[in-house]
Amino acid sequence: MTQRGSHRAAAVALGTVLAFGFASGAFAQPGEVDDCMDCHGDAEDDRLELPDGSEVPVQILKQAWDASVHAGEIGCTDCHTGISEYPHPDVQEKDLRGFQIAQAETCKRCHYAHFTKVADSIHYKQFEEGNRNAPTCVDCHGAHDIAVPGEPRMAVDARCAQCHSEISDAYRRSVHGQALLDNNSPDVPVCTDCHGSHQIKDPRKPDFHAASYQICAKCHSDADRMERYGLNPDVVSTYLDDFHGASNALYAEGLGRPDKPMVTCTDCHGIHDIPSLTDADASVVRARVLTTCRKCHEQVPDGFQDAWLSHYPPTLSKAPLVWLVTWFYRVVIPLIMLGLVLHILMHLWRLRFRRPGGQR
Amino acid sequence: MKGVKLSRDRDGRLCVERFAMWRRVEHVITIIVFSTLVLTGFPQKFYDTAWAATLIELFGGLNDARVIHRVAGITFSILLGLHIAVFVGGVITKRMRMSLVPTPQDLRDAWQNLRFYFGLREKQPRMPKFDYRQKFEYIGMVMGSLVMVATGVFLMWPVETAGVVGGEALAASRIAHSNEAVLALLVIVVWHIYSAVLAPDVFPLDKTMITGKMTVEELKHRHAIEYDRIFPAGEPVDELAAAEGAPAEGTPEPEPKGDGPVGPTS
Repeated sequence: MTQRGSHRAAAVALGTVLAFGFASGAFAQPGEVDDCMDCHGDAEDDRLELPDGSEVPVQILKQAWDASVHAGEIGCTDCHTGISEYPHPDVQEKDLRGFQIAQAETCKRCHYAHFTKVADSIHYKQFEEGNRNAPTCVDCHGAHDIAVPGEPRMAVDARCAQCHSEISDAYRRSVHGQALLDNNSPDVPVCTDCHGSHQIKDPRKPDFHAASYQICAKCHSDADRMERYGLNPDVVSTYLDDFHGASNALYAEGLGRPDKPMVTCTDCHGIHDIPSLTDADASVVRARVLTTCRKCHEQVPDGFQDAWLSHYPPTLSKAPLVWLVTWFYRVVIPLIMLGLVLHILMHLWRLRFRRPGGQR
Repeated sequence: MKGVKLSRDRDGRLCVERFAMWRRVEHVITIIVFSTLVLTGFPQKFYDTAWAATLIELFGGLNDARVIHRVAGITFSILLGLHIAVFVGGVITKRMRMSLVPTPQDLRDAWQNLRFYFGLREKQPRMPKFDYRQKFEYIGMVMGSLVMVATGVFLMWPVETAGVVGGEALAASRIAHSNEAVLALLVIVVWHIYSAVLAPDVFPLDKTMITGKMTVEELKHRHAIEYDRIFPAGEPVDELAAAEGAPAEGTPEPEPKGDGPVGPTS
């Protein structure tokens, strides 16, 4: 190895040490967790009393920490930033919720991108409006026992159910919830698949309603996934080819806002308690369509629902008039256009090659 | 001379009037209204394209685009109603000939003209005031407009429509409205623009619908039967010149079009 080579090797070695140091050790000191666990890893139920009388449990289940995604990655003082010595300084927060909120602040030191998403969410808006119970990071993810998010899938529902228990109950009754509970199906949505996790929008807003078909479309226009359950893969395309669907598609792009909401998937099928229609009685379903129509079009006569072909392309037996009109244009438009183009070409050909006077 | 207005163009050529002022105004209004309907309607049909979003945005969002589309549609309906009323009234009072209504002769003309295109016939068949191509386009336009107006009315008042014709007709109306629009636009873009603008014998533009006039010379070649009807004695007696007391010889000879094939317009 030459002189220069050895310098280079030294530089690389130093760089590696520094880089590694930043990646893992820039945070806590090695062995710090063990030191803390000497006191906080007891099985006893020690609690710290706060000024308002609420208590913060200060004991940590070591197994839970070791199983968490952070074990071996960061140390205690990375989150508990105010603590660097013993005895510990007094806790500043006056109650347990205040302590939790303050601790959640430390998450964004590493997970800033997620924090910015949360900042756009309905949860954060609630929080800003003074609802201290609006969820922060630790309410969903836990504190010392943070697991890989979204696993197991059923845990997502349990987490949201902490606050949204009625919706969770409805979901568990639905065809989606049932499939998850019974078969742990990977194909059905859990809460976060439709609502997102961090950037959860206010589902009561008209914008959300207009664009909500896109949530259903993620799975219901996936032909492979639908085939596994014998479901119609055309439900989204047929919806969009209708007046209301096309309107919502344009509204979803931000091209205005409907005066009154345009009917979308959930208005007929329900939101969280969506039932299976696979074995449903067709006449019952059709009656429900009319009921849905009357939510907006109050005075519609019986038969109005026939304007909606139930997500199926028209057939001669089910919707003869629509089928005839569709096929009429499918045949007539190409025929007429072919005839006109040929006529034009023949005219040009005559002008070019069959000029009177004998040329060509 | 059978009650046809004669005049001279800028070059002094003798012309017959083919379209009265009202017809020309009607044509301009139709262009504006039709374009508006296309620009506000097609983005609704092709809602998932980028250009649709751009167009809708141009009109101030979907709601505004719909209002404009409906106002234009009502204007178009009134225009169509007036057009038909004038036609029916004109025919009843015998002030108007049914010169745009297709007859069996038009089928024979079409056959003979195709033979001419293929060189199986020396001369182009003699055409009436409006030849079969013009009649085809005109009848297509009127029929298509009736479909558009009827289905448009259905879609504008869906609840009332369903009460009368049933829900399925509403779904069929939507299909018909959107497909008939495609057919109309294609015919205009391909056939009408070719005939009136791009065809070599009228390029760069057949101005008959703008000035309302066609030179007698052109009429003789393109609509020989109509020429014979207006000038039964053969060569036109230049009555206009006689009335003006000016010698007809002083005017430059119109450019002869020759006996070649002629375009399908005017």
